[in-house]
Amino acid sequence: MKIDPIALEVFKNLFSSVAEEMGVALGRTGYSPNIKERRDYSCAVFDADGQMAAQAAHIPVHLGSMPLAVMAARAEAPMGRGDMVIMNDPYRGGTHLPDITLVAPVYIGSRDRRPLFYVANRAHHADVGGMTPGSLPLATEIYQEGLRIPPLTLVCRGVVERDVVRLVLANVRTPEEREGDLAAQIASNRIGEQRLVELVAARGRRTVVAAMRALQDYAERMTRKAIRSIPNGTYRFEDYLDDDGLSDQPIKIAVAVTVRGDKVHIDFTGTDPQVRGSVNAVEPIVLSAVFYVVRCLVDLELPSNAGCMRPLTVVAPEGTVVNARFPAPVAGGNVETSQRIVDVLLGAFARAMPEAIPAASAGTMSNLTLGGYDSVRHRPFTYYETIAGGVGASAMGPGLNAVHTHMTNTMNTPIEALEYAYPFRVVRYALRRGSGGAGRHPGGDGVVREVEVLCDASLTILSDRRRRGPYGLRGGRPGMPGLNLLRKGRRVEVLPGKVNRQVKAGQIVSIYTPGGGGFGRRRKR
Amino acid sequence: MVPKSTASRTARVGIDTGGTFTDFIVASEGGVRVHKVLSTPHDPAEAVLRGLEELGLEPARCEITYGSTVATNALIERKGARTAFVTVAGFEDLLEIGRQVRPHLYDLTPSCPPPLVPKELRYGVTGRILYDGTVLKPLSRKALAELRRKMQGQGIESVAVCFLFSFVNPAHELAVAEALGGLGVPVSCSHRILPEHREYERASTTTVNAYVAPVMGRHLERLSRSLGKAHFRIMQSNGGSISAARAAAEPVHTILSGPAGGVVAGLAVGRRAGFERVITFDMGGTSTDVALCDGEVTLAAEAAVGGVPVHIPMIDLHTVGAGGGSIARRDPGGALVVGPESTGADPGPICYGKGSEVTVTDANLALGRLDGRWFLGGTMPLDEAGVLRAMKSLASTLGVSRTRAAEGIIEVVNATMERAIRVISVERGHDPRRFTLVSFGGAGALHACELAERLAIPRVVVPNHAGIASALGMVMSDVKRTYVATVMKEAEALSARDLDRAYRRLESEGRREMAAEGLARDDLILERLIDCRYVGQSYELSVPYCRDYVAAFHGQHESTYGYARPEQPVEVVAVRVHVTGPVAPVVLPKGRAPRRPARPRLVERKAVVSGGRRVQASVFRREDLPVGARLRGPALVPEYSATTWVPPGWVAQVDRLYNLRLERGR
Repeated sequence: MKIDPIALEVFKNLFSSVAEEMGVALGRTGYSPNIKERRDYSCAVFDADGQMAAQAAHIPVHLGSMPLAVMAARAEAPMGRGDMVIMNDPYRGGTHLPDITLVAPVYIGSRDRRPLFYVANRAHHADVGGMTPGSLPLATEIYQEGLRIPPLTLVCRGVVERDVVRLVLANVRTPEEREGDLAAQIASNRIGEQRLVELVAARGRRTVVAAMRALQDYAERMTRKAIRSIPNGTYRFEDYLDDDGLSDQPIKIAVAVTVRGDKVHIDFTGTDPQVRGSVNAVEPIVLSAVFYVVRCLVDLELPSNAGCMRPLTVVAPEGTVVNARFPAPVAGGNVETSQRIVDVLLGAFARAMPEAIPAASAGTMSNLTLGGYDSVRHRPFTYYETIAGGVGASAMGPGLNAVHTHMTNTMNTPIEALEYAYPFRVVRYALRRGSGGAGRHPGGDGVVREVEVLCDASLTILSDRRRRGPYGLRGGRPGMPGLNLLRKGRRVEVLPGKVNRQVKAGQIVSIYTPGGGGFGRRRKR
Repeated sequence: MVPKSTASRTARVGIDTGGTFTDFIVASEGGVRVHKVLSTPHDPAEAVLRGLEELGLEPARCEITYGSTVATNALIERKGARTAFVTVAGFEDLLEIGRQVRPHLYDLTPSCPPPLVPKELRYGVTGRILYDGTVLKPLSRKALAELRRKMQGQGIESVAVCFLFSFVNPAHELAVAEALGGLGVPVSCSHRILPEHREYERASTTTVNAYVAPVMGRHLERLSRSLGKAHFRIMQSNGGSISAARAAAEPVHTILSGPAGGVVAGLAVGRRAGFERVITFDMGGTSTDVALCDGEVTLAAEAAVGGVPVHIPMIDLHTVGAGGGSIARRDPGGALVVGPESTGADPGPICYGKGSEVTVTDANLALGRLDGRWFLGGTMPLDEAGVLRAMKSLASTLGVSRTRAAEGIIEVVNATMERAIRVISVERGHDPRRFTLVSFGGAGALHACELAERLAIPRVVVPNHAGIASALGMVMSDVKRTYVATVMKEAEALSARDLDRAYRRLESEGRREMAAEGLARDDLILERLIDCRYVGQSYELSVPYCRDYVAAFHGQHESTYGYARPEQPVEVVAVRVHVTGPVAPVVLPKGRAPRRPARPRLVERKAVVSGGRRVQASVFRREDLPVGARLRGPALVPEYSATTWVPPGWVAQVDRLYNLRLERGR
């Protein structure tokens, strides 16, 4: 069946609007501020083979790796009509434990034996148990990081398996919130399923299936075309994570990007072995980072689907920090290492296309988690937030101030929502002026966020780029490294980049995030 | 034709200020009259007053609804007041940080328009209120005096004030407003403009209000003074109108004033012609607005105008900087670019006699699609020789022929508008093939068919009086206002009597204000709505209020999100009363379909360039065309305020309401 250019355009938007609507439903019905305010979730639609057909523009670190979750669900928990699978195991298609994924099959005809599509959503839950509230601890094995859920049937023929829910809720610190968020995730998949059924009813099964395939082919063609414009060659780059939170040893990530015609081969050989601390990444994270970078190099309007990945091959040697072996802890791999993987990929591409690639951006999500018992509201709490930084400058101009970069794009929790729900007070939320790297075009400034805790709590910070700032390019200076402080009155203490400790009521946690790297040598006046 | 309550007034007047023309429509017992005068951007009131005078209307006997682009233009062109932002110390950068997200996920070099308030005009004062309204740190007189001192001599023209939790306790905002009273500039307080939580969105909406308030205030004051006793209302962004006094205090509600009129009219015209699904296409002098109505006007609660979030309900509209006055030039890379810069009304396109840069209107003239003999009934001669000279020089910089350059300009501007329509249709899952394009604005009908062709839209309707549709929408708009009171209590803790009391308070306020607008009590439509959510959620759903509103909420949640949690406690966030003062429908002249299709009277044949070739187009005057008349393209149909271009292969037919209905011929 032939899909004409207008149909291609219409279906591109129809499929992504299915994913967008799933996202709207999830955000509107979620219970935790992390989901309803920060929108730390992603939604996508898959074809009968589990290939990604469309996604909503949500969180890059989720999006590139979701196909592996759908694969794992298909392999381990066959899904009948009305079923839905839950999972979070990083060693079975997940990324880190707080990200819980729900996969649902979409059956169309009453006689169909297998689903015609799948829908899935992934949401970051503010707590999934483990050593410390927020489930991003400084662990040495994954067992300490929280509850591990292999693909399990959560909904069976339309009925929620209460036993599975009870098991999950018994292992987390804030069960009510989790239950509400899971209900929202179920609703989101239902919306996606409903929209796809309507779509097939309106447009016909053959047309919808053909359009899904045609769009993947189209994305592949566009990607190949973009790759052909990059000069052939092998481009290498390496950069470092500060440490794993348990030792002071910097951790190297190395990449060799080989461009040949309309194909790209990406090889992470030379990257340091996996570490004791939690900055290990599983392979899906690498795929997410590669997908993100490739997607950035092609046209903004390109549909994001599995076709974009067809021209690529990726090697991530097992046992390294970019493809850790079980049971290494992985909480930080998703949020920190993913950013550095992007930095090295872009650094390598910058050697091929010096004018097209910007200097490094903040390169960390500056994850802040606080948890404990709220003595005012008489309930346990866990709070999670990631804090924006500066964008790297480019040949086009200076970097933006204070936005999330690369692998994340979560919103901030509005102060008015935060203080309503938690025993905190935000003292300051401002630009960190002068933190962008100098250059012909300066990098964007990071931010300062200061939170006073109103009752004793457990604090975890998972941040990087606290020792070396994001790199500049073509003579531009690096951005200023981040800084974490704990203070009360005049007593100020510098905290490490990765830290867990008890804090007392009245103490103020200050996070200064890195600025972006500068671009080009600054001209002397 | 006149609202019952104001039957003593003789005429209802709709006025729409565009970038190039100010349009008038007068609906009275005698029928419908239209008029157009050149806009006066340095003082838009001048054109309004002149037009009324030229129409011979006595303001005291008029009921005027006015669509003002003053606020919109100030925001989009970043020509608003030098605005200061006052907030709690430590949060001065609130407007710049926003929600810390980048606009496009896969853009390596993201950019954002600069904040409305520059770094040096952001002021923080100590004074902090908590979520339950208690004062943590009082706002001292000293701090206020210090603030006033710092703000003096900065050339500040307007102030936006947004404090944390002001929607719970406005004390600090009120104190700042009072302390700054002496500065003699308008002060916009966030608890008045948008009393809702989420500090960034509230601050942004408030800042937009402050940014446009001085300009809008001056403008409306001048008009009110000159119009004396006329009943004078302003079109709001939601498709309803409000009094001028309120619009001056809260101009943020009028940010999409003019375009909203167009959409209201476009849908009304489309419906009467028998089409429920319409895409309105309003091409004016400086910009083009498109909106999609799938049976009704679509409202968006969270919109951004000129890249700035404005969180009040407004018509879901997409605007691009391409219009008749858009300037065509060669960019450094050698490409032909059209817009977004525009000549506006002053100096205007070359053909109006003052301009020097080639515009889209000039290109239409060069291609033979416009003609000075018809333009505004021949009252405004067009400088054809000047256009041809300028076109020749543009063509030589591009290295193409003069006709190719002129046609290229049309192609480029059409592509921009095609993209705009894609954003509101295909990108939101609507197939344009199921819609009718309703084209208005002075320039729209010259482009509508070619645009429809690019998008496979099967049909174009060019309404009678196409050039003044927005003004028509003004006279068709109801008076609308919503009254809200925050409740924030669990449903179980609220008795029907409590709620009833809250509703009655809102309703009597609504009746009082509407009476002041001259609307009779008996005509008002009052709707009670209740905003609910499950305890713990942060977005609410609005359902019509009834005795068992909790059950209605569960039902609504189920149908909107696919599930309900009947065992969960429900929280009432707010009670809400929509007050509508309906306006009697304007009766449009209607003809009778003849037995045999009438043969239209040909004025002349004229050479027009189309698809690179010179074709002979038939010219028919719109006012000569009887109901049922059918004409084949290539044809031109000029009328007083617009010209319709019927390309080769298209057929136009006049329907019973004198609309031109255009379809691709078989």
